[in-house]
This record gives sequence, C-alpha cells and structure tokens, in this order.
Amino acid sequence: MMKHRRRMFRGLRQPFRTGVLVLVWGWLLALVLVPNLLVIAASFLTRDPGTFISLPVTLENYRSLMDPLYLEVFLHSLYMASVTTLVCLLIGYPFAWALSRVGKERQLLLIFLLIVPFWTNSLVRTYALKLLMATNGLINNGLMALGVIDEPMRMLYTEGAVIVGLVYLLLPFMILPLYSVFDDLRQELLLASHDLGAGRFSTFIHVVVPLTLPGILAGVMLVLLPAMGLFFVPDILGGSRNLLVGNVIKNQFLDARDWPFGAAAAILLTLAMALLLFTHRLSQRRLGEGGDL
Amino acid sequence: MKKLVLVGMTAVVLTGCSDQEDEQVLNLYNWSEYMPQEVLDRFEEETGIEVVYTTYDSNEAMYARLKLLDDSSQYDLAVPSTYYVNKMRKEDLLMEIDHSQIEGFDRLDPELVNQSFDENNAYSVPYLWGTTGLAIDTDTVDPSAVNGWADLWDEQYEGQVMLTNDMREVFHVGLSVLGYSGNTRDPQEIEEAYEKLSELMPSVRTFNSDAPRMPYLEGETDIGMIWNGEAVMGKEDMPSLEYIYPEEGVIVWLDSFVIPKNAANPEAAHQFISFVLQPEISALISENIGYATPNLAARDMLPEEVADNRASYPTSEDMENAEFQEDVGDEAMQVYNRYWEQLKTGR
Repeated sequence: MMKHRRRMFRGLRQPFRTGVLVLVWGWLLALVLVPNLLVIAASFLTRDPGTFISLPVTLENYRSLMDPLYLEVFLHSLYMASVTTLVCLLIGYPFAWALSRVGKERQLLLIFLLIVPFWTNSLVRTYALKLLMATNGLINNGLMALGVIDEPMRMLYTEGAVIVGLVYLLLPFMILPLYSVFDDLRQELLLASHDLGAGRFSTFIHVVVPLTLPGILAGVMLVLLPAMGLFFVPDILGGSRNLLVGNVIKNQFLDARDWPFGAAAAILLTLAMALLLFTHRLSQRRLGEGGDL
Repeated sequence: MKKLVLVGMTAVVLTGCSDQEDEQVLNLYNWSEYMPQEVLDRFEEETGIEVVYTTYDSNEAMYARLKLLDDSSQYDLAVPSTYYVNKMRKEDLLMEIDHSQIEGFDRLDPELVNQSFDENNAYSVPYLWGTTGLAIDTDTVDPSAVNGWADLWDEQYEGQVMLTNDMREVFHVGLSVLGYSGNTRDPQEIEEAYEKLSELMPSVRTFNSDAPRMPYLEGETDIGMIWNGEAVMGKEDMPSLEYIYPEEGVIVWLDSFVIPKNAANPEAAHQFISFVLQPEISALISENIGYATPNLAARDMLPEEVADNRASYPTSEDMENAEFQEDVGDEAMQVYNRYWEQLKTGR
C-alpha cells in the first residue's frame, strides 16, 4: 500500500504521465460517466410533451418495458444477434487460425486488409451492401448474366439481409480477439497432445478449444451486444422491419419523443451487457485457476 | 512552437473579420428532395446570402431537432406540414411572420391561406402542397384492378407492397379503408385501424420515406403508397410507374415556411420566402420536383404537360373524398405511436 502511494506521488511529479492520466480520466468522466448518469436519471422521470422529461420520479418506464410487445422485440433481436454471432464465429475461428499460421509478412498484410474497411463509415458500407443485394443489383444481374438464375432473387428487406449486414460489419470484432489467442497458442502443446496419442479431433476438443476459449468469449461479447444496437442495418437492409432493440430506442427518442422510456430501454441493454461482462469475468477466473493447476 | 501559435491566432482573427463584414448566411431546414439546387443558387447569386441547406425525412425528426436546439438559433427557416405548424405555433416555437417584409403573398391560392391551423397566416407561408396516393408498376400490376387503398390487401400482392415510413399516413390508409376519418382521435377507431393494418403486414416489403419512389425504381416493390411529386419524378426514369387516386380518398397535405423563434437571420428568411413567391421561381420548383404550387400566378406559367399532369394537379374528381391532415393532439399521438410500434414489430 505504502509503496503504491509513493509510486503515485512520483507519478505526479512527471508532467507527461499526469497529463495523460488527467486526460483519460477527464475523458471518461465527461463523456462516459456523466452521459450515462443522465440516461439513468431520465429513465426514472416522466414523459413531457413540452420539455421531453419532467418530474415526478417513477418506475413506470421499466414497468412498460415488461410489456410482451417489447419482450418479443428483445427476443427477436437476441435471436438475430445470436445467429450473427454464430456465423461470425464459424467464419472467424478458422480464419483466425489460418491467420496465425501464415508468415509474419503475410499476417501483417491480412490484418491490414481486415482493418481497411474501418476507414469507411459503416453507414456508407451498409448502403453499398444494399446496392449489391437489390433485386436489380449487382449480384442478381451477375447471376442472371451467367445463366445461374432466370429470375432475380428477392434478397433485400428480409431477415437474412439484416443478418448478412450485421455479420459483415461485426466480423472483424470476432477475428481480432481470436487471432490474439491463436497467436499465443504454442505448437509444442499440440505436438505433446499428438505424442500422447490424441487424434486430431481429440486434440482440437481437449487442447485447442479450451486454450482459445478466452478469445471465443471475448469475440462473442464484442459481436453479440453491438448486434442488438445497430439500428441503421434493419432500417436500410430490412426495410424498417425486423427491428432491433436499437431501433426501439431510436424511435422513442426521435419519433415518439418518449425520452424516459427510451432511456429505460437503453439502460436495460447496458445491464444485459454488464451481466455478460460479469459472467465473462467469472469464467475467466475459473479458466485462470484451471491454468494454474 | 510560438510561431505556430501566432500563425494560428492571426488565422482566427482574419476569419473572425471576414465573418463580420462578409456574407450573410441563411440556414434552411427542409424535407429531403424538396427544393431544386437551381433555386438555392439563384437566391445566392441575387442576394449574396449563402444558403446552408440541411434536410430531414419526417416532421417528427424536424420537430425534435428544432425543439432541442430552440435556444441555439441553428435554423432560420423550416418547412413543416400543417398539423405541425399548428403544434409548433401553440408551443411558442415560431416567430410571427412580418407580412410587410413579404412580397407576393396575394398570389397564393385563397383556398390555401388563412386556414384553421394558422389563422391569417400569422406564422406560416404555404410552400407546396401534395397528395399521398397509390403507385403501381403497370408492367406487373393490372391498373384496372387497382382502384383504392383496399386493393393493397389483395393476396396476390404479397411481399410487393411499399408503405411510407410515416405513422400518420399509414394509419390514415387503415382508417380510410374502414370508413373512418384519417384524423380521428378515438382510441377505439385507431385500434381497429391497427388490426386492419396488421393483416396487411405480411404483404409489406418495406417502409420508405427518404425517397418513396426508389423501391419501385429498384424493382423491390410493385404497388403501394407514394407522394405525388415522387411519382412524377419517378416516372421520368420508369415510365411504367403510375399514380392512382384511391377511391376512399387521397391524403392531402400542405407544407409551409415557418421561422423558428430564435432564428439568427429572420430578415434573410423573409427574403427567401419572397424570393420563392415569385411566379417564375414557384413554377420552376413545381416543374422540377412534381408537387403542386399554391402560387396561382405561377400555375399560369407552367408548361402544359406539367399543368395538365393529374399526378401533380388533381382534377376535382380526383379530390373527391380527399382528406386534409390535421393535428390530433399529443394524447391521440401517444395512442398512434403505441400501435405504430406494435405494427412494425409484430410478425
């Protein structure tokens, strides 16, 4: 404790370090903590047509969230987010494995390619997907020119289109944490497993999967929750149907102007995220203990 | 380092100066695709006032923005529909129009001024009016089989129907099919309309209010709702796009210029309104974007094919049973909102 305190004081004497700390904490305080507190406060207030929010304090907003209608939205949203996460995992896992096996130079190039799309706004990229999937879009026209299909497929404005959009936008968030665990996976462990008589499948189940589990969990978390909030994907690719929790929140703030209710819905989503983080933390601790043995 | 700071400071001082003595700015907040660029260019050329043009796709979004930014004088001019003019006027969000600064107000159609939503046009000046009716792609849908809103419910159009992403309009359709007023405040009638509309939902492919002509042009939908101006613009690229006046009655709306209470440059706003009221400019707008101008002097200047276009300028027969959108009050809006959410999330 004493040592820790001394270190802190020494820190104060270093202007750069202090500056960085103040900046980071100030940033978190002003742009994360305060806005979230405001949202929490708003969720306990009453809707007001004139001033958006007003007293009295009430739990009504949380009670209306229990309405079967919103439960249905939440479940459907969770279902679409889960499918998205599963698809991301099925694509991302082998990709990350392959990525960790290629030479260093190639690896850099591939990671670079993975990150390049982030330079373009995700909204613009979603519109690009729309052009590809439209009834007279590139995919249909291409397939028809090749004679694969006679009539254009109707892909846009379906649940599938929304999921394709979500997978496309979120895949890198699955690959990157997986890549980092695969990169740390030591080949000796796999060799040892083989030496001890385990087959490929057995090695995969008993060695590779447990060792990459932290990456899988991190990837799942980075994909699952954002997938429930990306409201512009159903708006553009789903034709304002197949709504996500994010759409409900956006509609409450912009169209219905029921800020307290929108805030309560946002808090619910945050709580779901916190719960997931908590379980992740628990499972990691248990994994950590397993590793010590 | 010091040099750099100096350079930066002089830059700030210089731009500060130029702001003061240089050009004025007019912040115009309008519906998307609702004003030809040429009009803005000509206004800038004539007056030297720079137009900063921003757009919205629903009255709700415009209202929320103006209300939130009430004190910041962000906008000098906006274009709400009648029922929002009424609402905003009552909530003291608007500045009174100084009619001594407006030229050409007397050219407006007497039937469209001095209405109950804003008596004596104290707060608003009509810009354009239009209708929301049916659109079909005649290549795939037989025009003789489509006469009214009720035909949207026909099973053969399953998965091909488009609705506007506008709560009031969609409910207007449901209410008219049931024979109720599209401006009802009766929760019972709204609920019945919801029940009726939810039968339509399996047929609905998409909701669109950014540019309702696009799903037809893109081949995604063949039948549904559209704004008349969008139908006129769409027909240029797609001759098979036909506008139909539903027999239950078309939805009519009027959009008007209003000046937000805290506008930074109300003079420029008045100037712009007068500029648009010139017959030549009003005619140019109507010809370009297909909606009807309330400016009678402009109507005489329109080319024949525009003036005779029934989609833009309906005949009295087309306007039979037509209903004007009105403010329904916050309480009824809450009921509409709730069923709207239910409609869009229900499967």
